[in-house]
Amino acid sequence: MGWLRRLFTRNRLEADLDKELRFHLESQIADKVRSGVPENEARRLTRLEFGGVEQIKEACREQRGTLLLETALQDLFFGLRQLRRKPGFTIAAVAALALGIGANTAIFSVVNTVLLKPLTYPDPGRIVRFMYTSPQGAIGAASPVDFNIWRAQTSVFEDVAAYDLRGPGFNLTGPVPEQVQGLRASRDYFRLFGAHMLLGHTFTQQEDSPNGGHVVAISYGLWQTRFGGNPKIVGTAISLNNESYTVVGVLGRSFVTDPPANLWVPFQIDPNSTDLGHSFVVAGRLKPGVTLAQADAELKLAADAYRRRYPNAVGPKDGFKVEPLRDSIVSGARKLLLLLLGAVSFVLLIACANVANLLLVRAADRKREFATRAAMGASRVRIMRQLLTESLVLAVSGGVLGLALGFIGVRALLAVSPAVLPRVGVHGAAVGIDWRVLAYTLGVSLITGILFGLFPAIGVSRLNLNTTLKEGGNQSGAGLSQGRVRSMLVVSEVSLALVLLIGATLLIRTYIALRSVNPGFDAHDVLTLEMSLTGARFMKTAGVAQVSRDGRERLNAIPGVEGSAFSCSLPLSVGIGMPFNIVGRPRGKSRWTGDARWMSASPGYFSVFKIPILRGRAFTEQDDGAAPDVVIINEAFAKQYWPKRDPLGQQIQLGHGIGRQIVGIVADVRDEGLNRKPHPLLIVPTAQVPNGLTALIANVLPSFWVVRTHGDPHQYIPAITKQLRLASGGFPVAHVSPMTEIMVLSTARQDFNMLLLTIFGAIALILAAIGIYGLMAYSVAQRTREIGIRLALGADRGRIRNFVVWQGLRLAIVGVVIGIAAAFGLTRFLASFLFGVKTWDPTVFATVPVILSAVALAAVWIPAMRASRLDPQKALRME
Amino acid sequence: MKQANNKFDLPQGTLDLLIMRVVALGPIHGYAIAQRIQQMSRDALQVQQGSLYPALHRLEYKKLLSSRWKSSETGREAKFYELTASGRARLKAETENWSRLTDVIGLILKGTLEGI
Repeated sequence: MGWLRRLFTRNRLEADLDKELRFHLESQIADKVRSGVPENEARRLTRLEFGGVEQIKEACREQRGTLLLETALQDLFFGLRQLRRKPGFTIAAVAALALGIGANTAIFSVVNTVLLKPLTYPDPGRIVRFMYTSPQGAIGAASPVDFNIWRAQTSVFEDVAAYDLRGPGFNLTGPVPEQVQGLRASRDYFRLFGAHMLLGHTFTQQEDSPNGGHVVAISYGLWQTRFGGNPKIVGTAISLNNESYTVVGVLGRSFVTDPPANLWVPFQIDPNSTDLGHSFVVAGRLKPGVTLAQADAELKLAADAYRRRYPNAVGPKDGFKVEPLRDSIVSGARKLLLLLLGAVSFVLLIACANVANLLLVRAADRKREFATRAAMGASRVRIMRQLLTESLVLAVSGGVLGLALGFIGVRALLAVSPAVLPRVGVHGAAVGIDWRVLAYTLGVSLITGILFGLFPAIGVSRLNLNTTLKEGGNQSGAGLSQGRVRSMLVVSEVSLALVLLIGATLLIRTYIALRSVNPGFDAHDVLTLEMSLTGARFMKTAGVAQVSRDGRERLNAIPGVEGSAFSCSLPLSVGIGMPFNIVGRPRGKSRWTGDARWMSASPGYFSVFKIPILRGRAFTEQDDGAAPDVVIINEAFAKQYWPKRDPLGQQIQLGHGIGRQIVGIVADVRDEGLNRKPHPLLIVPTAQVPNGLTALIANVLPSFWVVRTHGDPHQYIPAITKQLRLASGGFPVAHVSPMTEIMVLSTARQDFNMLLLTIFGAIALILAAIGIYGLMAYSVAQRTREIGIRLALGADRGRIRNFVVWQGLRLAIVGVVIGIAAAFGLTRFLASFLFGVKTWDPTVFATVPVILSAVALAAVWIPAMRASRLDPQKALRME
Repeated sequence: MKQANNKFDLPQGTLDLLIMRVVALGPIHGYAIAQRIQQMSRDALQVQQGSLYPALHRLEYKKLLSSRWKSSETGREAKFYELTASGRARLKAETENWSRLTDVIGLILKGTLEGI
């Protein structure tokens, strides 16, 4: 470790070097004196011949091999000293960087969790989800028929498994009833997702066949909390939905799935099923070496063959395809996250420009220092390296701070505003710092450090030694070209800030527009409760209708309850598609008159939500299973199918069902979120739903109780829960929440979006204002003497102020103009996130530039006033 | 700092060779090395201190030279350089190499001249 020793014996080496060179000099002088040159002359000549002692020393040091490390350390300590000497500058720069890098770290850690982290299953890259494609688009839903076809494609797929996307939930019944998340899953599910069994086994082929019996596999968590970790649980019976299920296995602790679940029952899909209802999802694994394209080609052949055999089962243009499972989990969030990443990189660029400007000012102040160092023998490269080291120190400090800031920020953000993002966990618990985030932050810090450090470093490389040293004191000032670079930086800051602000304002307008949408119902003082009506009793409409009636009677008897209803869905999420026929209307070649949304509701539903009945009547208790079948349509349905006639009294068939008479028309309710127009909707009394539909829905979706209360609904929860348990024969309720909360959640993603872009916009605005202020304040300070002279010669103070204001404002205006042009080009990426406002909204494009200019004016006003209030005497006396 | 015209620049790498040649004659300090090279080349070569000392330090760092401090002829302490064993081997190899190279280059240049 010779170089290490040399590094530590540096002082002795330096002394030796000095002594050696001095000996040379002295000997040379002595020789000259001896040959008759006067001593003074000999000294002068020798110095001339010898050249720069410091340069020679530096060249000798370079041969030592430790130089690179040594200078790096030197640069580092010198840089730190320099930064400590100017705490104001350092704090400003590090703060700007920490904000920029912190915001980037925050967003990237979310991007990392959602988009980049591999799924936690074995060989996740080969897991695909099956899609049903039709001219209307691809849906990730499957029917038993689809599943049987897909499972037969064994040349390209293995472990093809069906499972519920959400499921209604399972009721652990008994003395303490509890609803838990559970899925139906076909037997390959566990192998596909790499489940380890702690106890027992997964489903056998026998268990996963129709009439395979009641068996269940439970999660480690449920085993611990509900069953006390009973080691002998396998083989015992537990009560699910008031029926007895035999536990066949306990899953390992690490088994986590999406959607999450605590128990699984075998799907028991009939291999000969003709059921075409899309109600679950199917995933599988590509066989080794099989590409997505090969799999799709195979599925196309399968769809063709199937279509030939059963012409009506698959539509003429329908087909199948697969997509990577991760894509289908995160597809909805990808665009949002990329948008945020783009926006946040703008913030970082602005922060960079700001720090570059600060550094340029400092470099200008330090010109003499650099010139002196160059004269003392420092090479330009060495000085540039010194400057870059300083900016890297700044960047890394900003990065470390930013990492902490970003981590805290993202947690706070996700806690405040649930973004409804996949894979982030509760309140963003899954968002953390791993090597990707660290590498990203480090990379961003280094790149920004080099980026903003280059400006002053290049400036230094152009430094002219002689003129700089001759220039006096502080007046050395920024040269013209440097002034231009600084102006350019400010202009780009302003334009970037403008783009962000326009984006933020468009989202704020979206936010306001969403809140001013009339949802078509009154959410205040309405409590919603979920109940999973599963089990043999609820596979028939009569069983459900009875619970619905009993429950409502009990609920309506609670003092303070103003009304209650039972339904299969809530406003803002009515999502069951249903083809229908209008009786007596010719439909040409097509099989159906059209496609609509469908839901069932008990009497009282419209009054609980205060949905106006436009014509006809609401459901009554008399619309029961024995009465003639009726249906209520919404306004959108009436307008689309009877634009000119009265639909009342007309008959509609749901699917292949019998004709139902239209008895009422209700006002439209937002059924897919506040930002979507209501679809045509068919509403059927709970008691008149065909048995097949009742069974299908019971297995896929929970049922809902909705209760209008007098005052805050929370106080009624205990009473309501108790009555519903009695009415349902011991079933628990779950997901109890006021309808107002559901409304808030329905716009959570837009709100998250708006909140973030507004924060970014505000940071950008502040940074840009600081940038302009800094530039003008510096330029006024630079020209103190000049302004002093002008004032002394009688210049008008107002004109001086206006001159400075105009200087700064001119840059802001150039930035604003560029920003407007850029925003016109960029806001189209926002289009899908906007509602009730165009991407080129004239109000936004007119007001935001004015606001930004006003802020810029305020920022230049302070230095301008300072300039106009200068005391000429003092200004002139300044060095 | 311009060099006089009748003196020429040393080709890359030859300075090390010259230094080792001079040092091979016995322990010697930097100033004397410069003078000796000048004398031996009959004033045709003037070694700049700006290249001499970095070269000495480089050779020392490569362990081709060793150094120690002792009194010079004037009684002052000076840094004397000596050839190490590996320096001696290197000098031998480099000298042979150099002779071969100059022979070859001379041959080519002569040929070229005759060809003109």
